[in-house]
Amino acid sequence: MEYPEIDKYASLKSPIHKFDPRAKILTFSSLIFLFVFVDDILLATINLIFAFTLLLISRLPLGFVFDRMKPVFLFVLPILVIMSLTVEGSELVRICGVAVSYEGVRYGTLITARAIAAVTLALTMLGTMRFDTTIKALYMLKVPGTLVQMMMFTYRYIFVLLYEFSRMRRAMSCKGFVLKANRYALSMLGNLLGMLIVKSYERALRVHKSMISKGYTGSPGTITQFNMAVKDYVLAVSIIGTAILLRMYSVILSVVS
Amino acid sequence: MHISYGVLSFPVVAVGWCVTLALLAITLRWGTKDRGIAEEIPKVSVMTGAFFVASLVHIPVPPTSVHLILNGLLGVVLGVLAYPALFIGLTLQSLLFSFGGIDALGVNTMNMGVPALIAYGVFRTGCRRGAPMALLGAICGGLAIFASAILMAICLITTGKEFVDVAKVAVASHIPIMIIEAVITGSVVAFLAKVEPEMLPVDKEDERR
Repeated sequence: MEYPEIDKYASLKSPIHKFDPRAKILTFSSLIFLFVFVDDILLATINLIFAFTLLLISRLPLGFVFDRMKPVFLFVLPILVIMSLTVEGSELVRICGVAVSYEGVRYGTLITARAIAAVTLALTMLGTMRFDTTIKALYMLKVPGTLVQMMMFTYRYIFVLLYEFSRMRRAMSCKGFVLKANRYALSMLGNLLGMLIVKSYERALRVHKSMISKGYTGSPGTITQFNMAVKDYVLAVSIIGTAILLRMYSVILSVVS
Repeated sequence: MHISYGVLSFPVVAVGWCVTLALLAITLRWGTKDRGIAEEIPKVSVMTGAFFVASLVHIPVPPTSVHLILNGLLGVVLGVLAYPALFIGLTLQSLLFSFGGIDALGVNTMNMGVPALIAYGVFRTGCRRGAPMALLGAICGGLAIFASAILMAICLITTGKEFVDVAKVAVASHIPIMIIEAVITGSVVAFLAKVEPEMLPVDKEDERR
């Protein structure tokens, strides 16, 4: 079990780290949504390079970022393989009697490029600020208070519950329990999860009472202040502007020529 | 199960977000009408945390390993509030571990949340008819994963006809998860019925009547 340390490197110094959290969230989210619906493979590659440039500017350790990208690769690479082998189209090469189609490879590569560009952006955004800052910035961006509070509490209790769960698992493995995919081990795991749920439920009742006693009414409050400076507006506009220019590169090229 | 960045087309993403936002508004209003939002937020959050932790367990199924989703169990324990709980859980999984894309968040929540609501309905109806709880839990756990896999396949195929074979492989790879979740949900429900029966929706509903 690993702790979700997405903001391990939030204390580094770089222009992206200094970027105002609200402006950063808006800028990077618009970039992600601009990049994931691209249909042109050349444009997808340019976007990928753009995303990596932002990552390099942010000075996050590359090993950390690549390690966090693994789930995306695990989802996208099977798609690339299956599509290359099954999509009908003109034959590119033939491996052991199975035709690899050009269309399949093209579409698969397009999806891979879009996915990697988007996840690079997301990790650059999240890795350069503390996670509680992200949540507070979301609240200031008018995300509904109920959802923001639930996200905050859940994030806070993940660490407590992870600790508690790994303690219970350690106790079980001390008594010789090994997790396998058979009926006995799974029903034991079921009991373990049931116990975690019961403990969490009791904890939730206590948390609720202590929050009521401190005057909680269900409305969120934060004392954090963010200050948007001119440089934040300039940075946001220039990043989004570059992305839009890249998106329209074919139009611009035809006008120039 | 968690659809990643850049896979779905714009119409599918848009529909997913619309369905999710509408269902979030409905379930939050419906789920908090009895006891108020101030009471439900801390409880649902801690429970969401528990399910988040449970979904990090990797079960070795040679040659790989699968991780639990537990949307059926979430539906049984939290009722309609399972939908916002899944939304928060999936958001955090996407932000903290890159499981699932931010663009696909609406679709992923729909694919897992709607089966959770179905599981809640099946569990309540079954309990009222007096079916054995452990069996009912197993059915809900398996059914929820099955419905999620089918919904995911529909989302992939509506994105493009190139995805037909990908969707077939994806559904096939969910069969072991379905069996594992059925066994685990059955045993968790049996455990809860013994240890903390007030957490299951049946007794609560009957008392109120």
